[in-house]
Amino acid sequence: MFSFLVKRLLSGAMIVVLVSMMVFLLFFYGPKSPALELCRRDTHGRCGETSPRLEQYEERLGYNNPVYSEYGKWAKGLVQDRTIYIGSTGYKCEAPCLGLSYRDRTLVTDQLKERFPITLSLAVGASLLYLMIGVPIGVLAARRRGSFADKALVSSTLVFSSIPYYLVALLSMLLLTLSTHVFPTVAYHPFLDNPFKWFSGFLLVWLVMGLYGATAYTRYSRGSMVEVLNEDYVRTAKAKGLKDRVVVIRHALRSALVPVVTIFGLDVAFLLSGTVFTEQIFDLDGIGKWGLEATYIKDLPVVQATALVLAVAVVMANIIVDIVYSVLDPRVRLS
Amino acid sequence: MTLPVAELSTENPIGPVGEGERKKIAGRSPTRIAIDRLRKDPIAVVCFAFVLLFVIIAVFAGTICDLLGVSTETVRASTRIDLVTLMPLKGPPNHGFDPEHPFGVAPGSGTDNLAVWIEGCRTSMYLASVSAILSTIIGVTLGLLAGFLGGIFDTVISFMTDLFLCFPFLLAALAVAPIINERFATDTAKLKFVSFYALVAILVFFGWMGVARLVRGEVLSLREREFVKAARVIGVPTHRILIREMLPNLIAPIVVSFSLGLPAYVSAEAGLSFLGIGVFGRESWGRSIAAATKYWEEYPLFLLEPVIGIAVLVVALNLLGDAIRDAFDPKTRR
Repeated sequence: MFSFLVKRLLSGAMIVVLVSMMVFLLFFYGPKSPALELCRRDTHGRCGETSPRLEQYEERLGYNNPVYSEYGKWAKGLVQDRTIYIGSTGYKCEAPCLGLSYRDRTLVTDQLKERFPITLSLAVGASLLYLMIGVPIGVLAARRRGSFADKALVSSTLVFSSIPYYLVALLSMLLLTLSTHVFPTVAYHPFLDNPFKWFSGFLLVWLVMGLYGATAYTRYSRGSMVEVLNEDYVRTAKAKGLKDRVVVIRHALRSALVPVVTIFGLDVAFLLSGTVFTEQIFDLDGIGKWGLEATYIKDLPVVQATALVLAVAVVMANIIVDIVYSVLDPRVRLS
Repeated sequence: MTLPVAELSTENPIGPVGEGERKKIAGRSPTRIAIDRLRKDPIAVVCFAFVLLFVIIAVFAGTICDLLGVSTETVRASTRIDLVTLMPLKGPPNHGFDPEHPFGVAPGSGTDNLAVWIEGCRTSMYLASVSAILSTIIGVTLGLLAGFLGGIFDTVISFMTDLFLCFPFLLAALAVAPIINERFATDTAKLKFVSFYALVAILVFFGWMGVARLVRGEVLSLREREFVKAARVIGVPTHRILIREMLPNLIAPIVVSFSLGLPAYVSAEAGLSFLGIGVFGRESWGRSIAAATKYWEEYPLFLLEPVIGIAVLVVALNLLGDAIRDAFDPKTRR
C-alpha cells in the first residue's frame, strides 16, 4: 500500500510537472509577444508591435531570458518568496507564489484563494448528485430489468445525455431563472457568511450539472449491476435466504460499483472542464471562467495557475480512485 | 469497451444439418451482418434519415440557399430592422411569418437566419467529418503499431495516451486556438483557413486516444491468432500483415469510434464557438447561440433555431452511433 502510494504520487507529480512545462512553453513561445497585452493596458493601446516600449516590457517580464531560467524562477516561487518587477514597481509575492496577473496586477495566489471555493463547491455538489441520483436509479432499473419502466429509463437517459451539456445549461438558465424565476438567481455567497444563501445560490447549477451527469451514471450502474446480479455468488446469497435488500446492497452493489468508480475518476477532468461552460453561462467567478478570460488576453501566470490546479485535481482524483478500488474490491491489491 | 470482432466470424454455427440444408447457409461477413441488423432497427433508420438530411443540407448549402432565395450577405440593416429597438420589421418575433425570411432575420445586423443556419450546418458537418476521419486514421495507426510491435513503441504510445487523457481538453483548446490564429493568420482570408484547421488540429490532437486504445487492445488479441502467426511463418512482411490481415478485422472498432466521434466533434465545435474561440469567417451554430443569448426574452426563436439544429444533429448522430455499436456487438444478438 505504502509503496504503491509513493509510486502513484511520483508519477502524478511527473504529469503535473509536464503539464505545467507544456503550458509555460506554449505561452512563452506561442504569442508574438507575451508582454503585448500588459504593455497595451499600461499605455492605453499606444504600444506598437515593434516599439521600443514593448521591448522594455519584454525585458522587464523576463521574456528575453532563456525559457528554462524563467520556468525555474516560476517553479522556485512555489516554495520561496520572490519579488516581481513590472515597470518600476516591485510586487512582493509570498510563497507559494504563482506570479502576477497581467490584467490587474493582483497576486495570482490571492485570486486563486477567492475563486477556488466556487469551483470546488460546484464540483463537489454536482458529483455528489451524480452518484446519489444516478447509482440508486441504475440499481432499481437493473432489478426490474426488461420492464417498461426500465426500457423507458434507458432510452430517455440515452437521449438526454446525448444533448451537449452547454445547451442544457444555457436553456435551463434562461428558462428557469430569467424567464420564469422558478429558481433564485445563481450567485456565489460564501458558505461561512450564510450557509442558506450559499445553498440556494448554487441550487440550480448543482441540479443541472448533477442531473445531466446522473443520466450517464444511471446507465453505467445499471449495466454493471445487471452483470453482477447474474453472478453465482449473488445466487448463493439469495439461496442462503438473505434478505433481498442485503443481497443487493452488501453483496451485489459493492462489486457493481467498481467500474462506476473508474468512470467517476476519469470524469473529474470532464467535470472541471465542464465548469468553464457552467461558470460562463451562469456568470460565476470560478477557476474555469478565470482561465477562459486569461486565455483571451494571454495572461500567462493565470493560465499557468489554472492548468496547474486542474492537473493536480485530475491526478489526485485518479489516486483516490485507485485507493477506493482496493476498499471496494478486496481482490485488488495495491502493490 | 472492447469489441470482440473475432467472435463475429463464428456467427451462423453449422450444426448437425442435412446436406441439402447446409448449402443454404451462406457465409456473411461481420459488416454484412451489422448492416442487416441496422436495417431492422427502427431507431437507427430514423436517425440515419435525420443525419442524411443534415448531410444533404451541408453538401448543397449554396444551392439550397439560392432555391429558398436567402443569403448570408450583409444588407443595409435599416431595411430589415427597427434601428431603435433593433428588432426585425417583418417576421418573428413581433409580426407574423415572413415568406422572404422563413427563419426570421437577426436583430441588430438584419442578416437572414435561415441562410446563417444552413451555412452553420455546413461548417459543423465539414469540420466534424474532417476531424473524425483524421483522428481515426491517427488513432488506428498508433494503436496498430503499439499493439503489434509492442516493446518500446507500446510503452511510449500508451504513456502518451494516458497523458493526453489526463490533460483537460477544453483548457488546452482554449489556450492553443488563439495562439495558432495569431501566429499564422495575417489577413482575413487566411484567418478563415487557419482558424478552421487550427480547430481541426486541436480536436484531432485530443481525440485520437480512444480509438488508439481500442485498436491496441484488439490487436493484442489478434496478434496471437493462427492466421496472423501463419502469415508470419510464411514470411509475409509486417506492413502487409498489418494492412491485409489485421485491418479488415478491425473494421468494427474503427466504424464505431468514427460514428461516435462525429457527434462529439459537432458538439465540441459549437461549444468552442460559443465560448468565442471557434472558426472565423464562417457561420457557426455556436456563435449564433452566443449572439442570441442576450435577445432571449424578446426573441426566443432566434436562440432556439441553432439550439435545435445542434441538439437534433448531435442526438441523431449519437443514437446512430450507439445503434451501429450494438449492431457490431455479437453479445446483443437479437
